[in-house]
Amino acid sequence: MIVLFLIAAILISCGLFINRSRWVNYLLVSLYLVLLWGFGVYECFHLNQTEYGFFKSDSLGLLLLLALCVIAVPALFHSSRYLEVHNIDETPHSKGLFFGAMTLLITACSMAYLSNHIAVTWIFVEITTLSASTLIYHHRNLRALEGVWKYVFICALSITFIFIGILFLSLSMKKAGIEDMTFGSLYSNRYKLDPYWLKFSFLFIFTGFTAKLGLVPMYTAGIDAKDIAPAPAGALLSSILMNLGFVGIYRVYAVLAHTPLQSWANVIMIISGLLTIFVAAVYMTRIKNIKRMFAYSSIEHMGLVVLGLSAGGIGVYAAILHVLLHTMVKPTLFFQYNQIYWVYQSKGIHDAGNYFKYNKAGAIFVLLAFFSITAMPPSGLFVSEFLIFQSLFEAHYLLMLIVVVILLTLIIWGFGSNTFQLLFKPSANMDESKIPHISSWESFSQYALLAISVYAAYNPPAPLVELINGAVGLIQ
Amino acid sequence: MTDVLLIILTISLLYMSIVNRLTTYLRILVLQGLILFGTTFLTLTEVNMVNLLLIMLETLVFKAIAVPWFMNYIIRKNHITREAEPYLPNFLSLLIVTLIIVFAIILASFIQDKNLDKTFFVVAFSTIFTGLYLIVSRKKIITHVMGYIVIENGVFVLSLAVGNEMPMLVNLGIMLDIFATVLILGIFFNKIGDVIVDPDVDLLSNLKDN
Amino acid sequence: MISLILILLTSLFFMGIVVRTKSLASGRKGPGLFQPMKDLFRLWEKGSVYSKTTSFIFRIAPTAYTASVLMAILMVPHGNHPGLISFNGDFVMFAYTLAFGKFLLIISALDTGSSFEGMGASREALYSMLVEPAFFILMGSFALFTGQTSFQGIFSLLHFGSNVSYMLGALATVVFVMMAMVENSRMPYDDPKTHLELTMVHEVMILDNSGFDLGLIQYMTHLKFAMYGALIANLFIGQLPLGLSIPLFFVTQILFAIAVGLIESFRARHRMGHNPQFIFILSSVSLLIFFGILLLTGRFI
Repeated sequence: MIVLFLIAAILISCGLFINRSRWVNYLLVSLYLVLLWGFGVYECFHLNQTEYGFFKSDSLGLLLLLALCVIAVPALFHSSRYLEVHNIDETPHSKGLFFGAMTLLITACSMAYLSNHIAVTWIFVEITTLSASTLIYHHRNLRALEGVWKYVFICALSITFIFIGILFLSLSMKKAGIEDMTFGSLYSNRYKLDPYWLKFSFLFIFTGFTAKLGLVPMYTAGIDAKDIAPAPAGALLSSILMNLGFVGIYRVYAVLAHTPLQSWANVIMIISGLLTIFVAAVYMTRIKNIKRMFAYSSIEHMGLVVLGLSAGGIGVYAAILHVLLHTMVKPTLFFQYNQIYWVYQSKGIHDAGNYFKYNKAGAIFVLLAFFSITAMPPSGLFVSEFLIFQSLFEAHYLLMLIVVVILLTLIIWGFGSNTFQLLFKPSANMDESKIPHISSWESFSQYALLAISVYAAYNPPAPLVELINGAVGLIQ
Repeated sequence: MTDVLLIILTISLLYMSIVNRLTTYLRILVLQGLILFGTTFLTLTEVNMVNLLLIMLETLVFKAIAVPWFMNYIIRKNHITREAEPYLPNFLSLLIVTLIIVFAIILASFIQDKNLDKTFFVVAFSTIFTGLYLIVSRKKIITHVMGYIVIENGVFVLSLAVGNEMPMLVNLGIMLDIFATVLILGIFFNKIGDVIVDPDVDLLSNLKDN
Repeated sequence: MISLILILLTSLFFMGIVVRTKSLASGRKGPGLFQPMKDLFRLWEKGSVYSKTTSFIFRIAPTAYTASVLMAILMVPHGNHPGLISFNGDFVMFAYTLAFGKFLLIISALDTGSSFEGMGASREALYSMLVEPAFFILMGSFALFTGQTSFQGIFSLLHFGSNVSYMLGALATVVFVMMAMVENSRMPYDDPKTHLELTMVHEVMILDNSGFDLGLIQYMTHLKFAMYGALIANLFIGQLPLGLSIPLFFVTQILFAIAVGLIESFRARHRMGHNPQFIFILSSVSLLIFFGILLLTGRFI
């Protein structure tokens, strides 16, 4: 089934790429969504089964795949809204390229979630770099070129680092005499692996995946990428691509779990997570570009996730929950951003103001989203962030907890000042006749996603809890 | 014999840190490609013939011929000036690369494994870190790409160290090579040349946080 | 004793071969093999002119320089036969004797009070300083390899077995050749023919010397070349009997001279600002040789 899905998805991508007609485009995109959902449902029923030795839908992969399915629908919908209505200078060629790249990105991410072999994950990470760079280069001007060059270069470096990590992993396996590099065999043989090489391997793989996950040291690629890419693509880059980084780090960390190396790995992850939150706090207080603000907020959340992961205890559960809820909430900001840009025709915060006047539904949503993304109740993210703090407290990392809370306060202040400026600042001299009338239905998908995230956090359905516990079981 | 070739590779790294002209960088890359070709032939004795031929062909054609030729074409097409513009004086670069090699040797001496050929490890490590240093210390974008190719050569040497047991990894390394080089060089550098006249990193600083 | 005689003999025709090679490489026939020696005889018959601003240093420097080079030559062995002076650690004395001679030349150049000569002297001092680690690391690694600390001990026990040692021997030869070029101020580090202020190194240092002193200094270049050639030949002689080692010695010297001529014909001098890094790379390469020898002897810390 996986191979069928892959082939069908690639065919649809090619079709979207070469197609020039609008209706065929809609048809193919809907077909793709149906295929994606079908694949997701199929994997639900085949939990923990291995296919072809290289793919296995374990709990974590399934969770992320279902989140992907949920997000893909509004993402592709808003892409077609963006390409038809918001962006005037589209050619059919660029539209086809955009949709082809979007579907390829979604396919590659879904394959990578389910992969059971580290080299297969690595191959799909390469494919996501390729498709993401096509998306970033969409506008084809100087800024896009700069963004895509930085992204491609840093991602190429990160992929090389992951490959070096895989080589070291094979060196550590050589001593134990194991040939099979699938995660299953790594988990069962984890005590036999040579710890010296395993350390190097974890270090390099972790550094490589920080480019995707958005942690220090390689987060810079993602920031520029999310800034330049069109907002629906930025939404995907912010959610499912970061989840890809998370999956990679999680599975390799699970190899180290229960070995004496786990505390060493925790130290590495804590350093990275703390520095990431610090960097995000520093930039958030000075930022003037709305999209970059969203991007820095993403890396702040990922820093928290990694801190929760390394604290252990309830932190692992909280980290996975946080990742899922973040996947629901962050894209909504990017989808709303299209409307913001449509009104003000500028990315800077100084040109924006008095949003309530121009788009009531959108403005209410922005307020709600601000509460959501800064993890204030009643946001869904509040639950997972609270659990992460609890796990830090229980692991006796008190000083770190205090530092993190202070930094988060700075971030809330930065985000809040920009949001309130957007919403409540008295309007600058704006030519009001040029502003199009924005229907309230454009914000519908974002409200729906926020509602899902609140529901999932405060009243999680039993299967969800089961799946998350299954994923936690890999580490504990 | 492999040790000889790998030591020559390390000396080429030292030379790379002090040269000034871009064409000399390209010649050193060609030399490195040829050395890797020879090393592959001598090391991978337990891989089956078809796979070995494929790997050797890739090393020779890609690393030693195609990539340097293509970069030469880009340099001429974009009228890139022939000086490589470093941020640090060349003497300091030489000292730093020497220190990198010494550091790699000290790191390798901590390995307890008796049956691993330490030369591979030392050369791979020094090549990778020298490549990183070249990326960081040079101003022009084309030298960033050359530094990346040096890193890939280092990764290839490392993959040869385990290549006999797991030839799949060497194939993956080659795939990485081709993918990243085609992506970086082929698609984007052509476009950069069309838009910017003499590409150096200062021009790529429009995306700021203000 | 043998090595002293051999080196003195070689110095008679060494420069002639170099000049001849350079001429042939440029398409001319070139002067005879002993022409440089005849030029030196001509210089030796002349008197010297001493400037009034110089002191006794200027007068004794060339002679002391000659003495230091001759003493250094006395320490060079020939395969199994030690030089006239041979003791443990004599290669250190060798390097410092040569440095002493060079020091005297430098201060005699400063003694003339000409800033032009001072500039050349400072450049010469810099280049010698940069190449000194190369010599010590190289000799040190050979000492590590053979376990001996005197020239004669090192060279008599030096033998090449595995592939790596051949490569290290070849690298060491290259380093010695380039060291000889640096120490004698030849291309590609210094152009003996240029007389432009911006580009002179050694020639400017000896600008004020004349007559017999100038002849001495120029003859010392020949001798130093022959001495380095003897060191290179020693890498290959090992324990061969005299009947084989003496022809091998002369062959090596002739090849060395031809190599020097070819390098001088086909390389331009490096840009003055870039010279230091091209000289220091010799030290880095000898560091690599050191670690190669650590690899060979299995003494990986």
